[in-house]
Amino acid sequence: MLTMVIWWLAILLEALLLIRGFQEKLVRRFPIFYSYILFVLVEEFLRFSVYRWFSSRYSQVYWTTQFLSLVIGSTVIFEIYRVGLRSFPGAARMARYLLLIVFGAVFAKTMANPSGSLFWWIAERSLMLERNLRIVQALAMLTLVSLFLWYAIPFGKNLKGILFGYGLFIAMSIVQLTLSYTWGDIRLFWPYVQPVSYLLVLGLWASALWSAQPVPRGKRATQLEDDYEVLAASTRTQLRRALASLGWTARL
Amino acid sequence: MMSTAIFVAFGILLILVLLMIARRKEVEEREGDRAAAPAQCERRNTLQGQELVLRIFSREDREFVLQMRSPRLQRMYKEERRKVALHWVRKTSREVRMIIRTHRLISRLSRNLDAGAEAKLLWQYLELRLICGLLVLFIETFGPHALHDLATYAGELSQLIGRTLPDSAAANRVASSENPGTP
Repeated sequence: MLTMVIWWLAILLEALLLIRGFQEKLVRRFPIFYSYILFVLVEEFLRFSVYRWFSSRYSQVYWTTQFLSLVIGSTVIFEIYRVGLRSFPGAARMARYLLLIVFGAVFAKTMANPSGSLFWWIAERSLMLERNLRIVQALAMLTLVSLFLWYAIPFGKNLKGILFGYGLFIAMSIVQLTLSYTWGDIRLFWPYVQPVSYLLVLGLWASALWSAQPVPRGKRATQLEDDYEVLAASTRTQLRRALASLGWTARL
Repeated sequence: MMSTAIFVAFGILLILVLLMIARRKEVEEREGDRAAAPAQCERRNTLQGQELVLRIFSREDREFVLQMRSPRLQRMYKEERRKVALHWVRKTSREVRMIIRTHRLISRLSRNLDAGAEAKLLWQYLELRLICGLLVLFIETFGPHALHDLATYAGELSQLIGRTLPDSAAANRVASSENPGTP
């Protein structure tokens, strides 16, 4: 009974998100995110129908749709990068380098360790596969968030909500999947834990995306943005001067 | 079990970083634009010169107070000078933060940003923050003259080693001539 209530509540929130998205024209601003929500809504109906009328097939349908939603969900991270850094070309350039390093490292590790290769992942149990893919997502998310914090990127309420909600969903998935793999008892609570945490995320999204908020843009105020070399040299000189003045304390 | 703890910790780390984002106020974010405004974008150059450092960490002052042979005065001097020195280090640390903050706020808009240069600047910044942190720790624990005393001690020690080194080299030559088979 409780499972059904959670299920219907999730469907309701997803539908509400979509309706508000269309009403507030947020769909145009975040097309990938709303496509993801639409996919999840369709997926919920599909799962519900299979659970009700073809329960023997539920497990297969669940893992197939879960994998698809994971792939589509990954593109939400791309949208966060695209929208968040649109008017910050310097930070966007840095993000590309960092993400390249992160994905390169993940790829290198996968190739270097035969037991940890992609094929092994696929052969492994679905839980492990999902957990590992969620970790890759989390790495990308962590890189982006650190960069946003470092460059003080303004988000606006809408993007902040998407970022916070999806990041929270990834983090909670990693914790749950890890614990359920090693601590089997959690599977007793699994039908409740995962949907309830997802409901929490949907609630966050519904609140953050209830109305369209203006997107803060970076204002070009100096000429220094155009000449990074001059900017970097000036900063370097000032830092060296600070280092020298700190060094005097020992030299006196 | 170890990997479980790592993965759970990783998930928690992500939640903590996200909470930092959630707590960051929009006002703070907009400060970035204000900081990039030409008036504030004047590259800060207020780091005090050698004169101020000379005064704060002056040996002459310490020697003068020591000559007064008043324990109360010495205690007062030590306490006051410690406060001034800490204030100076913290102010320098704040200014370093401001320098890098202004840099970040401008460089995020730069189309020709050099990732390598950014990484080097970040390293330089972290190094400076570490030095400031260590200085605060040193001054808090041993007083403002501890670093100078340590540097003097190290200097004297290296001179002493320098003086003893030729002797030991000569001794080694004597020893090896006595035992020709040994290297």
